[in-house]
Amino acid sequence: MVIRRVRLALLIVTLVVLQTTVFPQLRVFGAIPDLCLVATVAVAFEEGPQTGAIFGFVSGLAVDLFLASPLGLSALANSVTGYAVGVFQSGFVRESRTMPMVLGFIGGLVGGTIFAIVGGIAGQSGYLSLTSVRVIFVAAIYDAIVALAVFPFVHWANHDSDMGYSRR
Amino acid sequence: MAVYRRDARRRPVLLIVVLLSLVLVTVDSRGNGLIDSFRRVARDTLQPVQSVVDSVFSPLRDASDGITGYGAVKDENALLKRRLAELEGRLLRERAVGSEVNELGKLLDLPTIQDATGVAARVIGGAPGNFERTVVINKGTSKGVDVGQPVVAGNGLVGKVTEASSTQATVTLLDSPGFGVGVRLENTNERGIAEGRTGEREMRLNFLSKLLPACGKDSSPDTCISDGELVFTSAVANAAFPPDIPVAKVTGIQKKTGELESTVSLRPLVNLNDITYVKVLRWPELTGG
Repeated sequence: MVIRRVRLALLIVTLVVLQTTVFPQLRVFGAIPDLCLVATVAVAFEEGPQTGAIFGFVSGLAVDLFLASPLGLSALANSVTGYAVGVFQSGFVRESRTMPMVLGFIGGLVGGTIFAIVGGIAGQSGYLSLTSVRVIFVAAIYDAIVALAVFPFVHWANHDSDMGYSRR
Repeated sequence: MAVYRRDARRRPVLLIVVLLSLVLVTVDSRGNGLIDSFRRVARDTLQPVQSVVDSVFSPLRDASDGITGYGAVKDENALLKRRLAELEGRLLRERAVGSEVNELGKLLDLPTIQDATGVAARVIGGAPGNFERTVVINKGTSKGVDVGQPVVAGNGLVGKVTEASSTQATVTLLDSPGFGVGVRLENTNERGIAEGRTGEREMRLNFLSKLLPACGKDSSPDTCISDGELVFTSAVANAAFPPDIPVAKVTGIQKKTGELESTVSLRPLVNLNDITYVKVLRWPELTGG
C-alpha cells in the first residue's frame, strides 16, 4: 500500500514536470493536454469514484501551484471528473484497446468544461467564451492521444503487489 | 477477463474535496500570502528537475528539424533577432520622443523609460495551462525581479510580472484577456486603454475621452486614427508602465451595423508567440539610497 502511494505520488510529480516543461512547447492549435486529468481518469477507471476523486484533488492541486488560475480550480475539475468516471466505469468495456482514448476524450471535455465554468464564475477573464469551447475540444482530443501512454503508467503505479485482485 | 478493485469506502469524499476546492479557489481569488508562498516554494523546488528535463528534451526538439549544427545557428539567430529588435525599438522610441507629450512630460518632471534600469532574462517556458497567456522567465526575486514590474522585448512591451519565486518568474502577456495598459496614439496623443480580448491575438483600444474617427482621404492625421499608427504607453503619474514604450499598431477601425462605437483593433508590436529574451524593468525606480 505504501509503495503504491509513493509510486502514485512520483507519477504526479512526473506529470507536473512534463506538463510545465515539455508540453507548453508542443501546442496544437493553441491547446495542450492536461496530463493530471488524464491520469485521474485512469485511476478512477481502475479504482472507482472515491479514489478517483481523491487522486483528482491531489493531482489538481499539484498542477494548480504552477498555473496562473486560482488554486483549487484544477483540483475541483479533476476530482469531479474522477468521481464521474468512477461511477460509470462499471459500464465500460474493459478489454477495449480504444477505451483509454475514449475516456481521455470524455474526461478532457468534462474536466475542461468544469474548469472554464468555475473559473469564469470565480472572475477569471476570458474563460467563458466561444474560444474556450474550441480550446477545450482540441485539448480533449490531445488528452485522448496522450491517454494511450498515461494509462499504462497509471496501471503500473497503481499496481499493489501485496494484494490479490478479486476476479469476476 | 480484466478486473478492477472495488473501493469500499463510503465517506462523502466527493463532497469534502469539492468543498475544499471551492474554499481554496475563493481564498486564492482574493489574494493570500500563504498560498503565494506555497507556489513560490513549489516552483523553486521543482525548478532543478524542470531544468534537467528541459535540457533533455530541448535537443530532441531541435533534432526533429534535422538540421546539422542547429544549436549554434539557433543561438546566433536569436542573438541577431534580439539586436535587430533592439534597434527597431530604439527607432520606434525616437518617434515617441519627438512628440509633444514627451516635452510636456519633461516639464512636469515625469520619469521616462530612459530612467528605468532592468534585468535581462530568457524565456524558458510557456503557459502550462490552456486558459492563460503567460511565459516563464529564468530570473526571479533573487535577481531583483518582482511582481508588477513591466517586461519589454527589443521592439516593445511584452507584459508584466505577475508571479515571482526565487529562481523564476511568470510574465502575463499583454494580449491576455483582462490585461489593460494605458496608451496614447502616436499622432493625436489621445489616450485610451488597450485591452486583450478573449481568443484573439489582437487587442482593442477603448478611448478615455474623445472617440476619434478613421482617417479619410483628406483628413488631417492629428484629428483621426490611421491604419498602422502606433500606440505608446502613456505618461501619467504613478503609472504601472514607464511612458513611451511602443505597444502596438492600429490594424483596423470597424463599425459593425447596430453598434454605437467603432472598434479599433491593435496588434502588439512584439511577436508574443516567439519571444526568447526579455528585459524586466525596475519600475517605478527606487529613489535615494
